[in-house]
Amino acid sequence: MTPDANLLTSLYHLVAKGRVLESLLGKLPGFHPGVGEEGVVVGAFFGLKDSDYIAPHYRGALLAAHMRGADLRRLIAGVLGKVTSYSRGRVRGDICLPLQFNTLGMFSGVLGNPLNISTGIALAASLDGKQGVVVTSFGEGTSNLGAFHESLNLASCLSLPIVYVCQNNGYAMSTRTDYALKCASVADRAQGYGMPGIRVEGNDVVAMHQAVQSAVARARAGEGPTLIDAVTYRISGHYSADPNDYQPKDERALWLKKDPLLLLKARLTAQGVMTDAQLTEIEKAAEAEISEAIAQAQADPDPGLEVLGADDLYSPVLERVA
Amino acid sequence: MSQLTFQEAVIQGISEEMERDERIFHLGQDIGPIYNGAMHSAKGLGVKFGPRRIIQTPISESAMVGAGIGAALAGRRPIVQLMFAEFLGLGLTPLACDAAAMWYKSDGKVAVPLVIRVLYGAGPHRGHSEDYQAWVASVPGIKVAMPSCPRDAKGLMKAALRDNNPVVFFEHMALYHGARQDVPEGDYVVPLGAAEVKSEGSDVTIVATALMAQQALKAAEQLRGDGISAEVVDPRSIVPMDVETVRRSVAKTRRLVVVSESWKTGDPLSDLTASIAEDLAGDAPLKIARVGLQNTPRPFAMPLVRAAMPNIQTITEAVRRITESR
Repeated sequence: MTPDANLLTSLYHLVAKGRVLESLLGKLPGFHPGVGEEGVVVGAFFGLKDSDYIAPHYRGALLAAHMRGADLRRLIAGVLGKVTSYSRGRVRGDICLPLQFNTLGMFSGVLGNPLNISTGIALAASLDGKQGVVVTSFGEGTSNLGAFHESLNLASCLSLPIVYVCQNNGYAMSTRTDYALKCASVADRAQGYGMPGIRVEGNDVVAMHQAVQSAVARARAGEGPTLIDAVTYRISGHYSADPNDYQPKDERALWLKKDPLLLLKARLTAQGVMTDAQLTEIEKAAEAEISEAIAQAQADPDPGLEVLGADDLYSPVLERVA
Repeated sequence: MSQLTFQEAVIQGISEEMERDERIFHLGQDIGPIYNGAMHSAKGLGVKFGPRRIIQTPISESAMVGAGIGAALAGRRPIVQLMFAEFLGLGLTPLACDAAAMWYKSDGKVAVPLVIRVLYGAGPHRGHSEDYQAWVASVPGIKVAMPSCPRDAKGLMKAALRDNNPVVFFEHMALYHGARQDVPEGDYVVPLGAAEVKSEGSDVTIVATALMAQQALKAAEQLRGDGISAEVVDPRSIVPMDVETVRRSVAKTRRLVVVSESWKTGDPLSDLTASIAEDLAGDAPLKIARVGLQNTPRPFAMPLVRAAMPNIQTITEAVRRITESR
């Protein structure tokens, strides 16, 4: 399928924005940026319905939440722990996302929990019978956790409408994928759970988008879950202060040539969808928008101590049951 | 009003709530009509509600708890049966690290109405007796119910299913198919966080839950024959803990014995004891004794179980120890 100019343009706007967001936030302390992985994030979460749910990997989580409608300034305020954030500074906003956008983040730093929980959201969607789907992403390191195996098996047993996207960037902190996974592709693991396993060039945002959309269509039709191994590369360090000097130079050089932003730009100009000047204009606009959001978030106030709310622990008991 | 066992009362509570609220569904291993749940813990539910609401899962506690949380986030009110409390650890990270305080962390945007059912307790089932109640009780945001009789079991289950927060519901195996009790039909709800004075007295306060509450009542009867008037307070839920009812009792008796089937170390009732001491020790002399399982793994052979577990004798001994100078 040849993507039309509108789709390519929309994808470019998002990948360009993602690049600026990941690069600039990567300068804040303790952030886990996803420079080089924007193609997977945009490809996985573009084109879903508002009523669908997503549960993105922490690397690229803010871009995903923004794609769902969350406000950039408030998301960034969450990274900084400002009172203007969606939780008023109660939870780390770099990984925990506002669920009001049908976007599940991490309510703790424990990997694997979002896999389990998003599988439950898919169970609710299945019970609702309204063709809702869930798309969740996670790192290849997380695919070694029990939560991954239990979730995929359960989703397959109950034929749940969920797409599991492995954002396989080659590294779990400093541990290489070829050390920690002894199958050729994370997609091979799907066979053990009786679901399709598909390997995709994650840096080709169009291929990524098409693969996820096919799996989404399958899930919507009630045909069950799919596992996608989206192969990409972590250009950033694991987190802001990681010098990332353990990546072999030749390997890194090879992947820099396959940068998702570069690939998409080449495609747009080759197909005559946009000129270099237009592409640059979009990048500049993204940079201005995100710099402004960061500046605003940085100027936002810290939470007052009333946010501690010792009495806010429990959701009030329902007076009436529906 | 009908005479029900603990197990029948739990099922009646679930069944009534499932009838009135179609958002409730039940996940678990072997809970369908073939096996009806471990120890008949889901008896009749599979036939009554069918496979769309009584959903059998593979052995996957972590995914089961996670699935319950996710479905709750998406508007359902799930029950997840983990079979035995011994398996709580398998589902602990999604429950304790994520679900426990989503309401707080999300600044009041995200509620998790979820009931986790577990069987536990030394009893007829040889094994699976560990309760690990401290694991769930020590994390802010998880409610914990530990009923001691069929009435409370039904009423607390209904409260748990109407609550908007994760609730771990402990079902004691020694009480499960034990004595019947009059249980009100229909809308009988025992609120979480409301202790009950099961037997009034003036000399000493005994605090205990579940099987230990039953033992404490028998101990109180023995003590009455010796002229010691013991008040038995059953917190009924460990979290929230009704400290006020216990405080009122101890303010009167000035003597407190807490009885737990669990280890004294890390026992939630030890926290209660500390709170009571904090509040009352300054006013006048206050005597305290704790009765619990010795700090070892639970033994297996019956004579060892009998020797290691708190029982009527160890409870009465503890009471006598702190009432001698009366």
